[in-house]
Amino acid sequence: MKPTVHRSFARCRRMAGLALLCVLPGWARAAELHLPAAVEAGQAFSVHVEGSGEASFYLFGPDHVVKRTVSLGSDLQIQSSDVRTAGRYQAILCDSSCTAAMFDVKAAQPAHLSFFLHPSRVPVSSPGSIDATAFVFDQYFNLVLTPAAVEFRVTPASGTGFSREVSTRSGVASMRMDSTPHEGRVQVTAVLGKVEEARVIQQVAAEACGLRMKAVASGSLVTLETDPVRDCSGNALPEGTVISFTKIDESGKSTVDTPIKKGVARVQFSVHGRAQISVACGVVLGNEVALNGKL
Amino acid sequence: MKSVPDITRALEKASGQLSEAGFVKAAAFAIVACALAIAQSSPQIHSPQATLPEVHLDADGLTPRPIEQLTGTTIARHYALAWRDLAGALESSRTEGLSEEFIGFAKDRFMQRIGEQKQTGVHVRIVDHGHRLKAVFYSTDGTAMQLLDEAQLEIETFDGNKLIDTQSAPREYMVLMTPGADRWYIRDLEEVPAKSF
Amino acid sequence: MKWGLVTFLAVATALLVALAWLQSGGLKQHAMFSAATPEEAVQALMSQIQNRNYQQAYASLDRSSDTDQASFIRDVAGSDGSLRTYSSLQTAEVSPLHGDRDRALVRVRMNWSSAVGSLDDVRDLHVRRDGSVWRVVWPKSALSAVPPQVLPVNYLSWDVIGRNPSQSWGGQEEVDAPKVRITSMNAISRPGRVVILGEVENEDTVPAYLNVNATLLKADGSPIEEEGSFDLISHVLLPKQVSPYRIDFPGVRMDAVKSVRMDARALLVPASADPVIAVSDQAISKDALNRNVLKGALVNQSGRPVNIAQVLAAYYDNFGKVIWVSNGYVDQALMPQVPVPFAVDIPDDIAARLKNYRVIVNHYSQSSH
Repeated sequence: MKPTVHRSFARCRRMAGLALLCVLPGWARAAELHLPAAVEAGQAFSVHVEGSGEASFYLFGPDHVVKRTVSLGSDLQIQSSDVRTAGRYQAILCDSSCTAAMFDVKAAQPAHLSFFLHPSRVPVSSPGSIDATAFVFDQYFNLVLTPAAVEFRVTPASGTGFSREVSTRSGVASMRMDSTPHEGRVQVTAVLGKVEEARVIQQVAAEACGLRMKAVASGSLVTLETDPVRDCSGNALPEGTVISFTKIDESGKSTVDTPIKKGVARVQFSVHGRAQISVACGVVLGNEVALNGKL
Repeated sequence: MKSVPDITRALEKASGQLSEAGFVKAAAFAIVACALAIAQSSPQIHSPQATLPEVHLDADGLTPRPIEQLTGTTIARHYALAWRDLAGALESSRTEGLSEEFIGFAKDRFMQRIGEQKQTGVHVRIVDHGHRLKAVFYSTDGTAMQLLDEAQLEIETFDGNKLIDTQSAPREYMVLMTPGADRWYIRDLEEVPAKSF
Repeated sequence: MKWGLVTFLAVATALLVALAWLQSGGLKQHAMFSAATPEEAVQALMSQIQNRNYQQAYASLDRSSDTDQASFIRDVAGSDGSLRTYSSLQTAEVSPLHGDRDRALVRVRMNWSSAVGSLDDVRDLHVRRDGSVWRVVWPKSALSAVPPQVLPVNYLSWDVIGRNPSQSWGGQEEVDAPKVRITSMNAISRPGRVVILGEVENEDTVPAYLNVNATLLKADGSPIEEEGSFDLISHVLLPKQVSPYRIDFPGVRMDAVKSVRMDARALLVPASADPVIAVSDQAISKDALNRNVLKGALVNQSGRPVNIAQVLAAYYDNFGKVIWVSNGYVDQALMPQVPVPFAVDIPDDIAARLKNYRVIVNHYSQSSH
């Protein structure tokens, strides 16, 4: 072969190769997904998929899997029910090969408050004893991570109420407060926009204070009755609180654990000779009564 | 009659041959035994269910309540168990193990997700390379803890036997855990954008 | 041949009849009705009680016994759902105390097995000779007669309404578990075990059902063993009530223990402040077996029987520290207003050191919560 023909043939071969390189990617190119970076939970949207023919579409979410056959070159509808749960989603489109894309679903507007008020019973006048914690969720119970202002409104049984505003961090707002000096119900309401949740705790009397009893003799029996049992703030201890009476006399030691009824505790002992009687409520001791044996 | 040296030489020759053969056999036996012992002692990696992922918990400066040491240990352990169970459930499309470590929203969502996986025939394999947990909130009464998790995961997605996607990148999760009778449960597990840390 | 067959049949019949007689307790009955010694009489009586042959046991008593059959059966078999009604006599050790030709005093130590463990009942029985046979004189039951009366019951009771499981997390009021506090804890070494003792108080305004557990830890913080208080605690505590507790760790040595981790878990439960049980005439003394005991009497101040009562006693040294906790079950029901004696054991070394003690009563009534 002459050298000129040889060079021409080589040039054609190179050009054909180049042309093939240009064309083949087009033939071999997978379908493409163009997704928004983020959507709000429950918000339907559409996705344009390029290409031609049919492909398998997959959508993987925290609580949801979608698999369906779609036509390329058209818009793909993502239903609101497909993106209710906040988190990272993955969409995959497969025809001859697969292509994937990610997008985030963020929580919608606040619609629920999970509100915890502890403890359900608290002694009066205890500093920092009441804890209020609110978790902010949207209507699909996704935690709303964007900062929001939660107002805690406090309404005691007596005295003036007050409110405090706390900004959420990672969906949580928390505050502590002291219990008031008076027993009774305290209502705390967590408010965020139109969403309100109210909780009630019971402030109860603290430890017994100034526990005193008096003795009334009747024959060989002595009846012991406490004064109304109160704490140091004057709040009455609740009914059913156990008061312990102990008597020591010639026959030995006798004890009775009896509950408060109508504010006082009452017990009857038979006494033999000299007697010493004491009273206690939990770990708090009251007065002692000495009987000299002459009843 | 053979002489003693002859017999000795014969014995030496025979013992040598025997030794050589015996040595080979003994060596082969030892090698096989070692191989079996190694196979028995090495961790059996059947599936992600068998091993626990590594979890490191950072609870320094936790507010409003500081964490107790035992609580921290328990949280890390149950978080690892939860991810092991979740990986197993996502791969097998079975939900039996989820009740052990998940509760509330998280459990409901994963149960639904796995149910739909099973219906569609897809499944996910997770190779878990560990988690770095940072505790960010612990309620005063000890009934809720919020944590941020930076997880190193390889995630392979299959449709039947066909691998359709592979992802290998750090992922971040917002976690809400609440205590039960004898453990801490995951109540909410949400993947969040990377800038949370 | 035929005579041989007849003889064989007669012998076989006699043997079978004898076997049946033996199996039906004929030997024991014979022994009972022909007891040659006071000990044999008591032993035979115990055998009948063990086999629950109460009528035959009563029939073997001496005529001078000041008890009717119903009272005798109530005395040995229990009544009113008491612990004795769920118990079986396991063993009876008989030992003579003193006697003469016609009368004797015999001590019997009965060991009853019950759902809460073994219970001892030691009695000194008079035995009288009736002809050639010794018979037990059963004493009259010491049950006080309480006149009929109406007792108003107006003690507080608590009910618990559980949370609605269909409500979402944080979507409703939460009611906290009762707040309890371990007020004291003392770890002591006893033969063959380590014992954790102390007291726990219900600081709350609602009743609590609680358990106290303890974990013994080594120097490196790893656990040695974990145990609970089981029945050595009053599980239901009313508001401001204090209970002792004791946790035993058998087989553990004190020198292996570096620290103790305590855990008091309380649950909200329905409860009643009734019945009030008074513990009267408490005193440290010796029982019939010369053991140190804390004894006294329980008086049910309500109008309903208390079927099973358990006594828990805490003992303190002169610094007010709890040095021992013991318990005992009363196998009689506590009838309203009727004092029932009790006694709980005290180890000898504890009895030598104790300066004070406190008794509380656990109770179970079929009609209560």
